[in-house]
Amino acid sequence: MVTLDVRPQLLEALSALRDRVAAARFPLPLDGAPRARANRDELLAQLDDYLVPRLKQPEAPLLAVVGGSTGAGKSTLVNSLVGRRVSEAGVLRPTTRTPVLVCHPEDSHWFGDPRVLPGLARVWVPRQDTGGSLAGDDPLASEEDPTRALRIETVETLPPGLALLDAPDIDSLVAENRALAAELICAADIWVMVTTAARYADAVPWHLLRTAKEYDVTLVTVLDRVPHQVVSEVSRQYGALLAKAGLGEVPRFTVPELPESAWGGGLLPATAVAPLRSWLVHHAQDPAARQYAMARTAHGLLDSLKSRLPELAAAAAAQHAAALRLTSVVEAAYDGEYARLRSRLQAGAVLAGDALKRWRAYPLDCTAGELLDALVESLGALLLCAVTAADERIDIAWRREPAADVPGLTGHDSCAESAEHRIGLAVRRWRRELEEYAEDEVRELDRSVAPDAEAVAALAATGLLGGRRGRSAGEGLAERIGAHGALRLRDRAGRLLADYLDRVMHTERERRLAPLDALEVHPEPQAELIAALSVLLKER
Amino acid sequence: MRAVTDQDRTEHAAQTAQTARTEGTSRGTSATTGPRARDVGGAGEAGEAAGAAGSVGASGAWGAWGAENSVSAGRAGSAEGAMDAPRAPGAGAVGRPRTTGSAGPAPGVAGRPAAAGRTPGYAGHGGQGLAHPLGEPAERQGRPEPADHHARVPDARRHARGPGDGRRTGAGHSDSDGAHVRTEGRADSRGESRAGSRTDGRPADGAGAVNRTGGRTDAGHSAARTDGRSDAHSADARSDGRTDACGDGRADARGEGRTDGRAESAGVWDDGLIARRVTEGGTGAADLVPVAPRPPRPLPVPPLAYDGPLRSRLDALRELVGLSRTRLDSRTLAEAGRVLDEAAARRRLSGQHTVVAIAGATGSGKSQLFNALAGVPISETGVRRPTTAAPIACSWSDGAASLIDRLGIPGRLRRRPVQGTDADPQLRGLVLVDLPDHDSAAVQHREHVDRILGLVDAVIWVVDPEKYADAILHERYLRPMAGHAEIMFIVLNQVDRLPGEAADQGLDDLRRLLDEDGIALGEYGEPGATVLALSALTGEGLPELRAALGQFVAGRGAAARRIAADVDVAAPRLRPVYTAQRRAGLSEEAREEFAARLADAGGAVAAGEAAERAWLRNAGRACGTPWLRLWRWYQDRREPPTGRLPVRTQPDEEATARQRVEQAVRTVADRASAGLPVPWAQAVREAAVRGAQGLPEALDALAAQAGLPPGRPPRPGWWPAAVLAQASMTILQVIGGLWLVGQIIGVMAPNLGVPVLLMLAGIIGGPLVEWSCRIAARGPARRYGQEAERRLREAAAGCGRARVLDPIAAELLRYREVREQYARVRGAGVR
Repeated sequence: MVTLDVRPQLLEALSALRDRVAAARFPLPLDGAPRARANRDELLAQLDDYLVPRLKQPEAPLLAVVGGSTGAGKSTLVNSLVGRRVSEAGVLRPTTRTPVLVCHPEDSHWFGDPRVLPGLARVWVPRQDTGGSLAGDDPLASEEDPTRALRIETVETLPPGLALLDAPDIDSLVAENRALAAELICAADIWVMVTTAARYADAVPWHLLRTAKEYDVTLVTVLDRVPHQVVSEVSRQYGALLAKAGLGEVPRFTVPELPESAWGGGLLPATAVAPLRSWLVHHAQDPAARQYAMARTAHGLLDSLKSRLPELAAAAAAQHAAALRLTSVVEAAYDGEYARLRSRLQAGAVLAGDALKRWRAYPLDCTAGELLDALVESLGALLLCAVTAADERIDIAWRREPAADVPGLTGHDSCAESAEHRIGLAVRRWRRELEEYAEDEVRELDRSVAPDAEAVAALAATGLLGGRRGRSAGEGLAERIGAHGALRLRDRAGRLLADYLDRVMHTERERRLAPLDALEVHPEPQAELIAALSVLLKER
Repeated sequence: MRAVTDQDRTEHAAQTAQTARTEGTSRGTSATTGPRARDVGGAGEAGEAAGAAGSVGASGAWGAWGAENSVSAGRAGSAEGAMDAPRAPGAGAVGRPRTTGSAGPAPGVAGRPAAAGRTPGYAGHGGQGLAHPLGEPAERQGRPEPADHHARVPDARRHARGPGDGRRTGAGHSDSDGAHVRTEGRADSRGESRAGSRTDGRPADGAGAVNRTGGRTDAGHSAARTDGRSDAHSADARSDGRTDACGDGRADARGEGRTDGRAESAGVWDDGLIARRVTEGGTGAADLVPVAPRPPRPLPVPPLAYDGPLRSRLDALRELVGLSRTRLDSRTLAEAGRVLDEAAARRRLSGQHTVVAIAGATGSGKSQLFNALAGVPISETGVRRPTTAAPIACSWSDGAASLIDRLGIPGRLRRRPVQGTDADPQLRGLVLVDLPDHDSAAVQHREHVDRILGLVDAVIWVVDPEKYADAILHERYLRPMAGHAEIMFIVLNQVDRLPGEAADQGLDDLRRLLDEDGIALGEYGEPGATVLALSALTGEGLPELRAALGQFVAGRGAAARRIAADVDVAAPRLRPVYTAQRRAGLSEEAREEFAARLADAGGAVAAGEAAERAWLRNAGRACGTPWLRLWRWYQDRREPPTGRLPVRTQPDEEATARQRVEQAVRTVADRASAGLPVPWAQAVREAAVRGAQGLPEALDALAAQAGLPPGRPPRPGWWPAAVLAQASMTILQVIGGLWLVGQIIGVMAPNLGVPVLLMLAGIIGGPLVEWSCRIAARGPARRYGQEAERRLREAAAGCGRARVLDPIAAELLRYREVREQYARVRGAGVR
């Protein structure tokens, strides 16, 4: 027999776990991401709405949530169990849009504060003994967003220690209703699954039943609206299906379809729902049964964490792996382009086109300033070419990568101009520093006629960037400032150039990676989830 | 009742041929075979004849049969096979014996068949028929598709013989051979054989059954074998190995082997693909309902005809798919391809019939409604959920067998309404299909539903008060099919369960939901879905549905509307890959920019400036005073210049800046592809990159050729005058100097004025002439430089245009063509 006491360590471990789960993010659109997000939300709902409150306060009333497909007669069933019309029933679907919680007046404080279902606003319905008018008339109810509110009804006919919750359809056409229904079911001690003679083979309720089995919750199924002629056959069929699904031992109640059932919104006679009612009452009032029902659900959920958390952790790991993949694409592209850039520099690619023509014309038909301008411009073009080529490679690689389909990740169009701008700035700054170096060298010379500093700079740049073609520039430079000075100038300029290249490529790579980094996909959540789980398991 | 009969047969069949079932599997094959069969036929004499007849279309048809048969077999499991088998089989079982026996009949049959020819597709049936010795069957086959008909017909007969089943039987696999044999045996028969073959698939069955049994699973095979002959014919199409074997006899069919129709299909509507689909079961079905009512010589059913706009839209769509196949992935085009295939397949089937499926959730009363419309409890109803596991078809008039074949509904699941053909004239032409549910835990039901919903002409959605708002119904089916509103009926069944007012409320609410789904409701005479409330149990509201349905069927426009709606749905899905956000094209500005970037890469500006300065310098030197030139020469000797060293003169390798060319190509490709749908943008980029290969080298070569104007730089007309003036200035100086010297040494009379003036004029005039020459040379120098620059620019631009811009433009043109086609596909829809 399982027991359920307040255990601070367990609660602590649980709340740590909860924080980890809440912190998990799945921003990359991988295959499993939507599923992981849904799992995370469901897990959070179960932890917040059920497990933590239940472990903190085992004495709180049992909450039985009535769930099922649209038109299954959930509201009618709740009304009949209570003996009063507390929840609208009708022929228009979906009928229940605001969930209704029914409890004994003495228990109402348990549900009034946000102990459970903190996300739902409470709508109080003044107690009405007449039971004639519905809360739908309540001005409060109509003002609030109907899907995010919880109406609380108190009735004397329900025994203390038991609360019923009439949930919206689990497969509602309204997406919020579906989400809400799932959230509400997660908050239940007892899952009351309602299906009908026409629906018992539907796929949707079966998914829910299978989930219930997986979580090993306290489950009751109700086969509603069974025409009396076929009661035995349908019931047998349904039983067979349940048994086949491994749910044979689940309590099963059959409610016949009576003229007064749904269509008028009337109440079923008490006898029709008596077995279900007495089962619920028994579990609410008999301490052993109550303890059992509660503990089974709570422990079932705790057990289910064993498989669900690793799933979440795996999804987190997949996210991180995808992010790594994306990052490595960027790095590979930039590294590749950087290597190509260096080899082209070495080969003298800068001294081509305009720059080459200027060099050919120098010094007769071209000034040193013009030559330097052309060289610098050519160097900028080479850098820009490398950067855009890298971006292009990244785009192509990312296009094949489903994870890259995040808005903002590929939208780098606005940066193209600024990349040119940034590169232009860097290159011009390099030129200025080179000219300063050249002036230094010239100043140190003790010749009577000092060579022109600009010409020295131009020759140095040509020698540095021109590869084989620029070799004669080196000779010219040596003639002007001496072999030693020329070598020194060349070394300094070369180091400077390497610095600038590194800096430019690094900046551009960071710019490309920035949106990805902003998604904050880290490896930690995976480890943290698993660690929190293992702490929790130890505490149990 | 027919139904009963069918069943009986079925049973027989079962008994007869277990094997047959096996065959069922093979649809695919059979289909294939079909096609070849024709070919073969061609080859073979009789066979050939058939072949001839069977143009592509024909083949398609055959294929179809085969397919059907096989399919049905597959599906039905053995049942069908069995069924057919029985008849034929009778003989089949026997195998040889029959042959003979059958042969006799067969021929007879054959004769008829021709006459009979029901639906085209059917030839297959015929085949079976033959198989069955009975005349009737034969007839059916006979008809194989009208188109092909001729060809086939003959075949059919042969088949009959073909049935030479004996062999088949015996052979089992070998059947094929057997078949051949037979075929051969009866020369004529061959023809049939094909027919038979197709048919056979089943009929042959007798034998075929065996063959199949043989275990070739593939339908193809089975078919093939069965027909040995058939295959032969058919063989072409798909070639199963085996088939061929058989086929060969005659046939050459194999040769053809390519399966498919599809490939070819492109040209024609019928592809192997279609054939396959069609194939299913046709035959089987026919047999099933040996419903007597068929007139002895039913006229061939006129195939469906699409109206002009729809046909042109379909043509445009086909063109579209063809044009973009290399650029888009097949997944994107799959939907459009499916629509085309279905349109083609439906077109060659009966236009007199409307296939209406009854779909809905489990327990909504689909089968009940089906039975109520048919007037006879055909489909099982019950409280067990889910009740109906396989689709059931009911045809109100003859000639719909091929339509039902296409749905893959086996013969044992085909029924006739109780009254017989003529008792219910209102619904004449209706083929009703009862579908399994779409929402139960049995997943295969949903697969059935999804498949058949894609093939029928119209749908009746049955909902009930409890389930009408189920998310699965609306989200999975109604919303995606909102474009098909005109071919939808939505009936709220079980209104008897609702008290009074509630029924109307429920109906209104259903209308509201449908409206939210985007389904146009056919109220107030507007086109749209028909929404009705009824109770299949009590019959309330049923007459209205019957009337609406009768009117709908009588209009005979459902099939075309369905196809049009399919196109409407498929077209917007293709929108993102065909429509650009902005006008696609390469602006003049972008072209110019590209040319400018290429010129930059070649250094045109610098080259021009250098040429200008060089010219100017030379001009200055030429017109300079001799003394200055002397001094410069001396200077040059003292200090060798730095830049222009020997290296210069040799041609540069890689004179063009690679990075600039690369960047220019990238920029222009980006410009051209901006706003294009992704696949096309990709294609444009690829075209640009492909064109840019070798571009820098070409530019290098061009630059070397066009670098400087050849020969000596041109000189302006005043040049000699300037040189003369300069020379005369020098001469003046010399004369003045000599004169002065002469006076000094006393040779001349002392006269200081004139010689000093002369010298002064020479000394001042020399630089003056030089200076004014330099001023005057500026214009020509600039022209010379510009000329040099222009030559480089033009060379680069021409090269870039040919290698990069033209391929890009071609790609854009292709895109524009495609977009035009797309507009045609859509245009009609929007209208």
